[in-house]
Amino acid sequence: MTPKFLLAASVLALSTGAALAQDKTLTISVYGVSQDAYKEALYAPFEAKCGCKLIIETGNSSERLAKLEANAAAPVVDVIAFSDANALEAAHKGLTQPINIAGLSNLAKVYDFARDPIGGNMAIGYTFYGTSIVYDSAVVSGVDSWLDLFSDKLKGQVALPNISTTQGPLAMFMIEKALGSDDPNFAKAVDLVAKHRDDIVTFYEKGGQIPQLMQQGEISVSVIGRFGWGNLAKTVPTARWANPKEGQTGGMNVLAVVKGTKNADLATEFVDYWLSTEVQQKLAEGLVDSPVNKDVTVSAEIADGLSYGEDLARTIHFLPAQVMLANRDAWLEAWNAKIAQ
Amino acid sequence: MFQDRRIGMALLMPATAFIVLGFLLPVGILLSDAFHTGGGWGVGNFSDFFARALNREVFWRTFRLGIYVTGISAILGYAVALTIVDASDTNKGRLVATLVLPLMISPVARTYAWVVILGKTGIVNQALVASGILDTPARILFSETAIFIGLIQLFFPLMVLPLISALENLPRDVVPAARMLGANWMQVFWKVILPLTKEGLVVGGTLVFVGSLTAYVTPAILGGSKVLMLETLLYQRVSVANDYAAAGVIAVILIVMAVITNVLLKRLAAARKGGR
Repeated sequence: MTPKFLLAASVLALSTGAALAQDKTLTISVYGVSQDAYKEALYAPFEAKCGCKLIIETGNSSERLAKLEANAAAPVVDVIAFSDANALEAAHKGLTQPINIAGLSNLAKVYDFARDPIGGNMAIGYTFYGTSIVYDSAVVSGVDSWLDLFSDKLKGQVALPNISTTQGPLAMFMIEKALGSDDPNFAKAVDLVAKHRDDIVTFYEKGGQIPQLMQQGEISVSVIGRFGWGNLAKTVPTARWANPKEGQTGGMNVLAVVKGTKNADLATEFVDYWLSTEVQQKLAEGLVDSPVNKDVTVSAEIADGLSYGEDLARTIHFLPAQVMLANRDAWLEAWNAKIAQ
Repeated sequence: MFQDRRIGMALLMPATAFIVLGFLLPVGILLSDAFHTGGGWGVGNFSDFFARALNREVFWRTFRLGIYVTGISAILGYAVALTIVDASDTNKGRLVATLVLPLMISPVARTYAWVVILGKTGIVNQALVASGILDTPARILFSETAIFIGLIQLFFPLMVLPLISALENLPRDVVPAARMLGANWMQVFWKVILPLTKEGLVVGGTLVFVGSLTAYVTPAILGGSKVLMLETLLYQRVSVANDYAAAGVIAVILIVMAVITNVLLKRLAAARKGGR
């Protein structure tokens, strides 16, 4: 009975929106993963604290960005979670507004690199992750460089992320770096991948495939984000996280406030709460998100499943959101012309 | 039925309004992007699309696989449908249930099963190596072959079911009559069974061909991005490049291919009726 009632209530709330003015509501738009964990660690405690109601919209970034754009004149969403590059795109399109950082009591606890990642306080990082090479130590002795992905000994054993995924450009960024170039067009990396196209098993679109493919012996090497590591290590106990000599790359997810929101104060309060030690701690312990809050401390075992700590963050070569946004179409173009066919 | 036609029209209104407002209009708006070029309206997006080698290759691959899947389904489908029609009533029920059963399982689950079966350590490769046909396991996954196998399994029942119903409507005496008049089995099939069951083939062929053109999960999982099909390319255009114009072009191409196939196959079936 209760779940049905809740469902009916949320449908009603969605359809009538502001009509239920006696109940304060805040609409947030997030990635679809780990919603149960977020509910427990973030949504439910926040609702209790603010005496308001959260409406959660989930989906992949492009869907949610398209919706944001379509509803720009009368925004539905108040706070949106994105990758830093998506947030920059939304900011460029005038879909978001600066965060009222004066209202963020937890700002001082946030790592410097996450405080204003795209400039103008248009977004604030809530989690970050490292991205590196993973390999099955039962099959491969070790991977020391991003260029090893194209070595003869790994022929027919590597799955690379497609350029269309979030991890794809990150991998190309490191391959280009390993080739001694900082060219944002990744020209050398594209040529190298194209040359070895037939040696690569597949260019994956969903990171979730990797544990299965490695378990089946279909591949023994890939490139993944740390958020997928726990799952891989569980499925393939002999899997190892490589530390290539060029270092690892990574990314950041951020929160942004939608332009024209009618709940600006509540939105700020929500962003602040997400960054609080309490919430960041719970999300870290659930292996949901690596914390950006300095005060979070976790056990070594939990830390292994995350990208934990400022020292580690310092070693990550982040691909700047500006570079990502400016070159994304060109990468896809070059990839389709040289690698996809 | 109604003395006043207006009553009939009025009854038709709600459903029509729903289809127009809820389906035709939004689809029209979405597809209109395909004809929207920088300066105005035109087919510039289509010539741009086909100007790229990758797009042409993807188009032909989609078309080719659609034809292969439909053709092989038809050949195997006749064999299966003839067996089922010929079986006793009890066995017929069992066979049809076996045929329909996979349709009740989500295509995602079925496709993932193929990932295991066709994998390097999967049963197919094990059998090929054990029987000495291959020395080392072959890579079947992430190839056109894998997509082909996945699509056949996905759409095969949609070919067999119309064929069964067509074969059941075949007068019982025509086959023995043809045999008695000296036709061999090949002649019986080509000159008697095939012409009389063409409608079933048209329905099945349309369903399988259009299904193969528009399936997304199977090519995405079994082919991956190394073997793009129109629908996986469409997904890429929308979700990565936010390029709704190119996505609209692909959608229009898919719809046009589906409509043309249907019209062509219907013509084929009608030609027989006219010529009789």
